[in-house]
Amino acid sequence: MADALRLESVSKAFGGLQVIEDLSFAVPVGSRTALIGPNGAGKTTVFNLISGVYVPDSGRILIGDHDTANVSAARRIGLGLARSFQNIRVMPHLSAVENVMLGEHHRRHPLAAAWGRGATERARAALADAGLDAYDGMVVSELPYGIQKRIEVVRALLAEPSMLLLDEPAAGLNGAETDELRKLLEGVSARGVTILVVEHDMPFVHSFCNHVVVLNFGRKIYDGDNEGVRRDPAVLEAYLGSSAGAGDAA
Amino acid sequence: MSGYLEGLIAVLSINIIIAYSVYLPAAAGLLNLGSAGFVLLGAYTAGALTSLHGVPLLLAVPAGGLMAAAVAFAVSFPILRTRGVYMVLATFAFAEVVGGVLLNWPGLGGAAGLSVIAWPGLGAVVAVSVAVVAGAAWLMSTRFGLSVRAIHDDESVARLFGVDLRATQVAAFTLGGFVGGVGGALLVHQFNFIDVQGTGVLFSIYVLLYVLMGGTQTVWGPVSGALFFTLVPELLRYLASLDPSLKPLESGRFIVFGVAVVMLMIWRPQGLITRTMIERALGRSGSGASRG
Amino acid sequence: MLLIQQLINGLMLGGILAFVAVAFTLTIGMLNFLNFTIPALFMVAAMLGWALITPGAHPLALGMHWLPALALGVVAAVLGSLLIERFTYRYMKTRYGDATEHALPLVSSLGFLIVFEHLAMSLWGGDPQRFELPFRNTDLTIAGFVIGLPQLFALFLAITLVAALQTLLSRTRIGRALRAIAENPDAATLMGVEVQRLVPLVFVITGVLSALAGILYAVSYGTVTPFMGDAVATDAIAGMVLGGLGNVWGAIAGGLLVGLVKVLAISFFGAEIEKIPVWGLLLVILVFRPSGLFGASRIGKGKF
Repeated sequence: MADALRLESVSKAFGGLQVIEDLSFAVPVGSRTALIGPNGAGKTTVFNLISGVYVPDSGRILIGDHDTANVSAARRIGLGLARSFQNIRVMPHLSAVENVMLGEHHRRHPLAAAWGRGATERARAALADAGLDAYDGMVVSELPYGIQKRIEVVRALLAEPSMLLLDEPAAGLNGAETDELRKLLEGVSARGVTILVVEHDMPFVHSFCNHVVVLNFGRKIYDGDNEGVRRDPAVLEAYLGSSAGAGDAA
Repeated sequence: MSGYLEGLIAVLSINIIIAYSVYLPAAAGLLNLGSAGFVLLGAYTAGALTSLHGVPLLLAVPAGGLMAAAVAFAVSFPILRTRGVYMVLATFAFAEVVGGVLLNWPGLGGAAGLSVIAWPGLGAVVAVSVAVVAGAAWLMSTRFGLSVRAIHDDESVARLFGVDLRATQVAAFTLGGFVGGVGGALLVHQFNFIDVQGTGVLFSIYVLLYVLMGGTQTVWGPVSGALFFTLVPELLRYLASLDPSLKPLESGRFIVFGVAVVMLMIWRPQGLITRTMIERALGRSGSGASRG
Repeated sequence: MLLIQQLINGLMLGGILAFVAVAFTLTIGMLNFLNFTIPALFMVAAMLGWALITPGAHPLALGMHWLPALALGVVAAVLGSLLIERFTYRYMKTRYGDATEHALPLVSSLGFLIVFEHLAMSLWGGDPQRFELPFRNTDLTIAGFVIGLPQLFALFLAITLVAALQTLLSRTRIGRALRAIAENPDAATLMGVEVQRLVPLVFVITGVLSALAGILYAVSYGTVTPFMGDAVATDAIAGMVLGGLGNVWGAIAGGLLVGLVKVLAISFFGAEIEKIPVWGLLLVILVFRPSGLFGASRIGKGKF
């Protein structure tokens, strides 16, 4: 069976700056993979390449069996891909339910006026699953940061993706909120959804993920499991060389 | 009801209709500085139908709307290729071209304008404006409305969730054209006259300003903008009649409008009516309201 | 014969349009701001000058000598421009926001336009007024062709000013600072550029350009009204787009071109048809070649 995601020799430069260089890695179906690395390693750029916001200068990106070469960003959700963002990008003037309902948008024709049966109920149920039902009708810009972040994850979940891309989902969350998030994601993973996270929160990564890819300056320096990453010399050098020590960046 | 009041309600109703013609594209993130173009198209089409071809008003008004919609649809494709200030200028250019074409179209009166006889009556005008507001409110509550509002808040994320940006914007622009055409058709018949010179740059500017003043976050914004633009001058006139020392305020009603626009852009750029305001009014706020 | 005279007339109008187009393109290029108060400043200088010079019962009829009167007109326009800088540009939000919020300065400038025009109207009424200077005939006649001196002067002044501006921008410290601001105001501040002092300079230049254009227009065509700036500004905007947003030499060429097209269209097809070629051409350019005929300047991003 094909991997959920495969990058093959992907490179991307902006102006004179080579941000991603000859990057190859695979994300197995159903895995919980973390993409980590010091600041500026290019992690969010990788996400933007996968979701189609940027186009690679060279190399291929495959989602399942599909080469994404000519698939526009708007059509990748049709390939089973949904994501969240590093700086939260919920729709500020819509309510929680409305934001979440956007996740289902791709399942009907673009101009279809009606949602179809049960759409609002599904959105409400998804929010309830995440413990957020108290915020259903509230305008999202009024809600606290942690709540907005989780709403963004629920929105991606409602797209019923086969692969979920989460960009720093635990950033800015306190201990309790991080636990809630982990529980939510464990449930999602148990349903067979592949999860790829970019994270700096190492305890979260160690407790949740079973596969780790480490980037430094746009290149892969480690690809393996949770245990190995703590001891890998290249990783330690990459992190110790910057201000954060490997394994305990908050 | 006095003639004065009737006239005021008619003007208000038509201003509301035209406000929605600019609101619909604005809600999808498109600024239209050429609403005069759609108003003229609707007015001249409907006016020509009733005065030159004896078509009943009931058919002529929608025909005006459809003509404006057809042109809006055709023009939306090139215009949507532009962005930002270029788009504002493109809509502006469009309105100028429409004005120029109509000015020279045989049989429509040229620079002297078009006069018509058929009269819709206050009831019809108010009914249509209520229908437009209700229709817009319904539209914004549908899935299509959600795509529009999602685009308004964040175009690129909306696309990532499968919203067809181009299709939605074309639809919003075309619908706006239709509504503008209907507004124009009613305008020419309610006031018996229209001319290109009087429905030009300044007209488009006023409409855009009072729509933005009302706020484009919610479907109730345009009504408040139109109310402000139409009623504040009357309020000033009334105040001046009570206290003659306030006379300058009355003749300065556009000045008051302009100052209000400037102040609003400084202190409340999102417009008079915002989403959070509506939610608070309905008791559904995130800040210490009824919910736990 | 008639054609040549019309060509000359077109270039004469074009000279004034070029002047205004430069003002527009300068603010777009330097500040990313489509400044709709330029027509108002254009009018303020001309009408204030008229009011001060011309004897009569209207407000400010001081019967002044034309030189100080027109100078005051320019000063008034500059003050108006600084007022706009204070209350419009300073509040420009460059943050991420919805599309309508990016349009703040443009919308605000439209508000100011309305205020100024109606202020003028309430002071002096909406009727066209005759603007006359002591020297009667300002036209040059060569070989039977009439050439308007004020318009010629406008063209000459526009070219000189643009050349001076280009030199300022490329050779002086202030010019480099202005270009840095145009590229990225925040980065410029970090590099020590005194944005707060230089941005008003651009507004002052805008005020001066608009004022001079208005005065020259009034002298050339002999009438002033509160709404005199509108038609000229819309044509100047067309010239700006043709020349490429932010491109000051392009603005001169664009202004001249629009003046030519307009006058020729009017003389051959009648006054009413002229909107179609000018704006039709513009629409085509905006859609297919937004950088204009000569390419938009790389100064600034040319947004709002």
